[in-house]
Amino acid sequence: MITKTLLRAFDGKAIWVVAILIAIAVAVPASNLYLPVGHPLRVPNHFVPLLGKYLTYAMLALALDLVWGYCGILSLGHGAFFAFGGYAMGMYLMRQIGDRGVYANPVLPDFMVFLNYQELPWFWYGFDMFWFAAIMVVLVPGVLAFVFGWFAFRSRVTGVYLSIITQAMTYALLLAFFRNDMGFGGNNGLTDFKDILGAPLQAGSTRAALFAASAIALALSFIVCSAIVRSKLGKVLVAVRDAESRTRFLGYRVDNYKLFAFTASAVIAGIAGALYVPQVGIINPGEFAPANSIEIVIWTAVGGRGTLIGPIVGAVLVNAGKSWFTGVFPEFWLFALGGLFVAVTLFLPKGIVGALAQGWTALKAQRVSAQAEDGSDAAPEPSPAE
Amino acid sequence: MSTRFTRRAVLAAALAGSVSLSAGISYAQEETIKVGVLHSLSGTMAISETTLKDTMLFLIDEQNKKGGLLGKKLEAVVVDPASDWPLFAEKARELISVDEVAAVFGCWTSVSRKSVLPVFEELNSILFYPVQYEGEESQRNVFYTGAAPNQQAIPAVDYLMNEEGVERWVLAGTDYVYPRTTNKILEQYLMDKGVAAEDIMINYTPFSHSDWQTIVSDIKAFGSAGKKTAVVSTINGDANVPFYKELANQGIAAEDIPVVAFSVGEEELAGIDTEPLVGHLAAWNYFQSVDTPENEEFIAKWREFIGDEDRVTNDPMEAHVVGFNLWVQAVEKAGTTDTDAVLDAIIGLETPNLTGGIAKMLPNHHITKPVLIGEIQDDGQFEVVWETEEVVPGDAWSDFLPESKMIEADWTAPISCGNYNTETKSCGGAS
Amino acid sequence: MHPTRLISKLLIALALLIAVAPGAFAQDVESLVSALPEGDYSDREKVIFDLAATGDERVAGLLNALGEGDLYVREEDGRVIVGKRSGRNYTLTDALTGEELGTAPSSALEKIRVNNRLRRAVRSAIGQLTLMSPSPSVRLRAARSLLRNADPDSLELLDTALAAETDPQVKTMMETARAGIIVKTDAGIEEKVAAIDLLAARGDREALAMLTGARSSAAPELQPVIERGIAGIERELAMWDGLQNVWYGLSLGSVLLLAAIGLAITFGVMGVINMAHGEIVMLGAYTTFAVQQVIRTSFPGLFDYSLAIALPLAFLVTALVGIAIERGIIRWLYGRPLETLLATWGLSLILQQTVRTIFGPNNREVGNPSWMSGAFDLAGLSITWNRLWIIVFALVVFAVLLAVLNRTPLGLQMRAVTQNRRMASSMGIRTPWVDAMTFGLGSGIAGMAGVALSQIDNVSPNLGQSYIIDSFMVVVFGGVGNLWGTLVGALTLGVANKFLEPYAGAVLAKIFILVFIILFIQRRPRGLFALKGRAVDA
Repeated sequence: MITKTLLRAFDGKAIWVVAILIAIAVAVPASNLYLPVGHPLRVPNHFVPLLGKYLTYAMLALALDLVWGYCGILSLGHGAFFAFGGYAMGMYLMRQIGDRGVYANPVLPDFMVFLNYQELPWFWYGFDMFWFAAIMVVLVPGVLAFVFGWFAFRSRVTGVYLSIITQAMTYALLLAFFRNDMGFGGNNGLTDFKDILGAPLQAGSTRAALFAASAIALALSFIVCSAIVRSKLGKVLVAVRDAESRTRFLGYRVDNYKLFAFTASAVIAGIAGALYVPQVGIINPGEFAPANSIEIVIWTAVGGRGTLIGPIVGAVLVNAGKSWFTGVFPEFWLFALGGLFVAVTLFLPKGIVGALAQGWTALKAQRVSAQAEDGSDAAPEPSPAE
Repeated sequence: MSTRFTRRAVLAAALAGSVSLSAGISYAQEETIKVGVLHSLSGTMAISETTLKDTMLFLIDEQNKKGGLLGKKLEAVVVDPASDWPLFAEKARELISVDEVAAVFGCWTSVSRKSVLPVFEELNSILFYPVQYEGEESQRNVFYTGAAPNQQAIPAVDYLMNEEGVERWVLAGTDYVYPRTTNKILEQYLMDKGVAAEDIMINYTPFSHSDWQTIVSDIKAFGSAGKKTAVVSTINGDANVPFYKELANQGIAAEDIPVVAFSVGEEELAGIDTEPLVGHLAAWNYFQSVDTPENEEFIAKWREFIGDEDRVTNDPMEAHVVGFNLWVQAVEKAGTTDTDAVLDAIIGLETPNLTGGIAKMLPNHHITKPVLIGEIQDDGQFEVVWETEEVVPGDAWSDFLPESKMIEADWTAPISCGNYNTETKSCGGAS
Repeated sequence: MHPTRLISKLLIALALLIAVAPGAFAQDVESLVSALPEGDYSDREKVIFDLAATGDERVAGLLNALGEGDLYVREEDGRVIVGKRSGRNYTLTDALTGEELGTAPSSALEKIRVNNRLRRAVRSAIGQLTLMSPSPSVRLRAARSLLRNADPDSLELLDTALAAETDPQVKTMMETARAGIIVKTDAGIEEKVAAIDLLAARGDREALAMLTGARSSAAPELQPVIERGIAGIERELAMWDGLQNVWYGLSLGSVLLLAAIGLAITFGVMGVINMAHGEIVMLGAYTTFAVQQVIRTSFPGLFDYSLAIALPLAFLVTALVGIAIERGIIRWLYGRPLETLLATWGLSLILQQTVRTIFGPNNREVGNPSWMSGAFDLAGLSITWNRLWIIVFALVVFAVLLAVLNRTPLGLQMRAVTQNRRMASSMGIRTPWVDAMTFGLGSGIAGMAGVALSQIDNVSPNLGQSYIIDSFMVVVFGGVGNLWGTLVGALTLGVANKFLEPYAGAVLAKIFILVFIILFIQRRPRGLFALKGRAVDA
C-alpha cells in the first residue's frame, strides 16, 4: 500500500524534479570541491551555503504549500516550526562546542555561564547526542503543530481566524524566546558553532555535505508531499480546501485530515530549520517574527500555490532576488520586492508556475485540439480559504 | 503540466542564482581599495545605522580627496543586511569573498556582530565595530571602537553617586545582552560600594516597548522611599521616545529622579521635544557639543557632505571616524591592505579623538577614550557636566564579574589570544 | 506693614540665619552676578544662595533664567546677560535690569552651565524669594518647591509666611512643607508627632517619601508613629493602585482601539486583509509632522492648534491614499481575500521605503501642544493629559464611525455591498464607488489614529509595523465585522494587559494575552461578537 503510494508519487513530472534535485546535490558540491579555483564552472565557496539556504527555504515553502495550497489552511506561523527545528539543531551544535567557548566551561554554553546558570537546564539534556537532537527536530514542531491543530481544528477555527491565531502563536513564541530567562540565549540566540558530527563547520567539505543533505532532504520532502497529494488522502485534502462543510457532510472526519496535513507540514518545516542553522551559523528569535512567516506565504504565492514545484521555484527566486538586490540596490530593493509582490498578485494570481502552466496548456490546446485533461490537474484553481 | 516545463522552471531558478553570482564578480578588477559598509538600511535598525553608512561614505570621500590610500582610490561597497541577523553573515561573506574588500565597517546590535564573527574569522578579514557594547569578547579580526562597559557605565554611576548623592537605583533596560551585562556589572559594582539589595530595582522590557505607564509609575513609587533615586537606562533605540515622553508627562523632573542613559544620543533626541527632559543625563565618549577644533571641523565637513545644516553627529559616528583613521594609518604603515599585516600594524597606533585626548589601539583591540557625562538641553544637544581627566582604556573582560575578572585579551606576541586566563596562564578557549 | 518691606526684612533675617558666607551680606548683587560664571558647580551653588540671601527683587528673574539655561556671558565684555534664541541669533537683555542689548550669534556668547544640583538650588532659592509674592499661584509654587527640597534653613521664613497666609490651598501646602521640614529637624517629640500625623493625612507619595526618609534617623519613641503613618499611606495608595491600573488599561486599550478601528472597516467590514494598515497609520503621523514643521517655520503662534489642523489633513491624505490603493490594487482582488494579504504586504514595504526615502530613516519630532502635556491629580490618581485626550478622541472617533455606518446613506450602502454585492448592485447601488469610499473611510480613520499615536510614540518609518499585529488581534478577538467587538476587544485586552504587567512583567503579560487570545478563539471561533447568519460561511 505504502509502496504503491510512493510509486505513484514518481509518475510524470515528479521524477524529473527529484532527478534534478539529486543532480544538484551531486554536481554543486563536486564542482566546488574538485574543480580548481578560477574554473568557470566552479561554484564559489561562499555560494554553497547560500544555495543551501535557498534549498532549506524551498523546503519550508513546500511544507507551507501542503497546508495552504492543498488544504486551504493559511498558516501565518510556519516560521515557528522552522525555528523550533533550528533551535533543536542549534542546541546540539552548542553542546558540541564543549570547552572551546570563551569561558571554557565544558558543559555550559557561554551565555549560561554569563547569566550565572549553575547547571544545565533540564530541557538542554540529551542535546549533546546527535540522534536525540535529530528526534527533537522532528518531534518538537510535530507535537506543537499536533496540539495546536488538535484544538484549533476541533473547535472549527477556520479562515482568517486560524491565520491570525497562528500569527499570535509565533508572535508569543518570539516574545518568549527574546527573554533571556528562557534559557535559549535571548536575542543573541545560539551562535559561534564549531562542528557537527565531528566535522568542522567551516570546512568546505562540511559545507558541501550540508548542501547535499539539503538538496536530498528537499527531494525527499517533495516525494512525500507528492505522495500525499496524489493519494486518496490528498484528494480529500483538496476537497476540504474547496468546500470544507460539504466534505464534512459527506462523512469525512475533516479535522483529522487537516491535523495530519498540518503536523506533517510542521515536521518538514522543522527539518528544513535544522538544515538551515548549520549553514547560516546562527539561530535567534528573529526567525519567529511574524514578518518571516508572512514571507514564506509570499514565496509560495509567487511560485504558485497548489502546485508542488511552485513553492520551490518561488522560494529560490524571491530569495535569490533578495540576495542580489540587497547587494546591488541597497537603498531601493524594498521597492523592487514590494512591487514584485503586488505585481504577482495582480497579474499572476496563480504564481509563476501556475501562469506558465496555464500558458503552456493554452499553447498545447492550440496545437493539439483535444488535450486539456492534464492541465487542469497541474494547476488547480486556487480558491480562497474563506 | 509537462515534463519539459518542469525542467525549464528549475533552470530558471538556477539562472537567477548565477546572475547574482556574476553581478558580484564583474567589477572586481578595477584598481581601487574596497571598503565594505555593512549597515542596515531597512528594517528596525535602519533608524540608527543609516547615518553610519553615510558617515563611511563621507570618510571615504574625504580620504579620496586627500589622494586615497597607497596611491589608490578607496571605493565603498554598500550592502543592506536589512536588520536580519543571518543576512548579516551572508552579506559579510559576500563582501569578503566576492567584493574582496580590505576591511568592513559595520554592525550595530550585538547579535549582528555575533552573527558575522565566524565569517570574519574563517575568511580572515577585518571588522570595525563602532557601537558601545557589553564587552566579554575580543576577537582577532574585530576592532571595537565603541565603548566597553568600563568606558561608559561605571563612570556614569560614579558621577551620580558623588555629584548627585544618589542612593537608590533603578536599572531599566531592554531585554537583551547589552543591558543584561551592563546591569550585571553595575549591580555588582553598586553592591561593592555598599548599596543594599533593596535599593536596586532591575526592570527589563521587550524591544520597541511603547506603553511605559506602569513602569514609569513604578519608578515613581520606587523613588518615594526618602532616598535620592536615579534611573540607569539601557533602554534601546525606539523604545526611548515613548519612555521619555511618559517621564515628561508624569512629571518626573531631572532634579528629582535623573535618568542616565547609555543608548540615547543626539540622533535619538532629534525625535523628541527635549524641553521637559532638560537635566536628564547620558554617558558617552563623544557629544556633538564638545568644543574642540577637530570636532568643529568634522561637523562642518559632515554637514557640507550631507547637505543639511542641521544634521546632528553622535558617538558611534565618532567611533567610525577613529576606527577609519586608525585603519588608514595601519595600512600606510604596513604598506599593504593584507589582513595579517594590518592586524599587526594597527596595535599601538594613535589618532586624536574628536573630543580631545588620543585614541590608541590597544592590544585587546579596544581603544582609549575619554568618558563624558552630558545633560540634555532644550535644543536636543548635550552639555558636558563632567568628564574623566584622562582617557580610559577599554577593558574587554570586566573586572567586576567573577567569571571574567581573570581573563585578559592581548593580541600581541607572545600571548596572541582573546581570552587569556591569567590564573591558569593559558588561553581559555580553543587551544 | 507694607509687604515688600516685610519681605526684605525677613530675607535679611534669613540671610543672617543662613550665614553660609559671612561676607555674602556685604556683597552687592552686581558683584555676585559677575561672579556667577566663575568656578565650578559648587562655587556657583554658593553664589546662588548668596544671591537669594540678598533679597533683591531682581534676583528671582535672574535665577529663573539661570534655571532655564538662558543665562550667558557675553565674551567681549564679560557681562552676564539673558539670551533668548530667535532664529540663528540670540536676543539679549541684561540679566538684572532687563535692558535690551540687541542680538548676537551663539559664538559671541558663553553659556553659564547648570546641572541638576544647581537647578535644585535655584528652585529652592526661588521658592524662598517668592514665598511672599502677591499672587497665590506663585506662592503655591514656592511652597511646593520648599516641600520638595525640605530644607531646614527655610523653616523660619516658612513660619512667617504661614502667619500671613490667607489662601487656604497655599496654607495647606505650606503646612505640609513645614511638617516635612519639622520631621527632619531636632524639634520636640510632640511637634514631630503632629508633623507626622499631618504628613500621614496627606497620604500621597511625597508624604510617603518624607516619612520613609525620616524613619531611619528618628528617635525610637517616634518609630511606631512613623510606621503607622507609612502603613496608612501605603494602604491608601494600594487602593488607588487598582484604579490607576484600570486607568492605564483603558488608556492602553484606547491606543489599541485607535490602531485597530480603521482596520475594523477595511478588514472587518470589507474583508481585505490589509497588511498596509500600519503604514497608513504611519502616513497620518507623518502628516502631523509635516503640519508641525510648517507651523514651526511659518506660524509659530499656531502650534497649540497643530493637531486640530493635522486631523482633517491626515484624514484627507490617508483617505486619498486609501482610495488610490483600492482603485489601483484591491478592486482586482475581491473574492480572493487571502491574496489581498500579499498585495498589501508588498504595498507596505513600498510605503515604508518611500517614507524612509523622503523623510529619512530617523525619528521625527512631533511636539505635544501645551494642552496635551503634563498631568493632573484626580483624588489619588495621576492622570496625564495626553492619555486623557487620546481616550476621549478614540471614543469620539468610534461614536462618529458608528453613526456613519448606521445613520447615513453611505453607511447603509456600505453594509449592503459588503453583505451581498450582487443584490446591492441590482438595487442600483454603485458598488465600485461604495468600495472606494469604504476603503477610503477606513484608511482616513487610520490616518487620524496616526495623528494621535504621534503624540505618544516614535514617528519613524517603523511606526506601522509595531501596531499591525496588535490591530489584527484586536479585530479578530472582538469579532470580524463588528465595531462594538473592536471596542470591547481593545479595552478588554488593554485592561487585562495592565493588570498582568505588575505581576508578570511587560513581556510575560503580552505573551499571556496572546495565549489567551489563542485559547479564546478555540472557545468562540468567530470572536467575541460573532456575526450570525448565512453571511458567515460565505
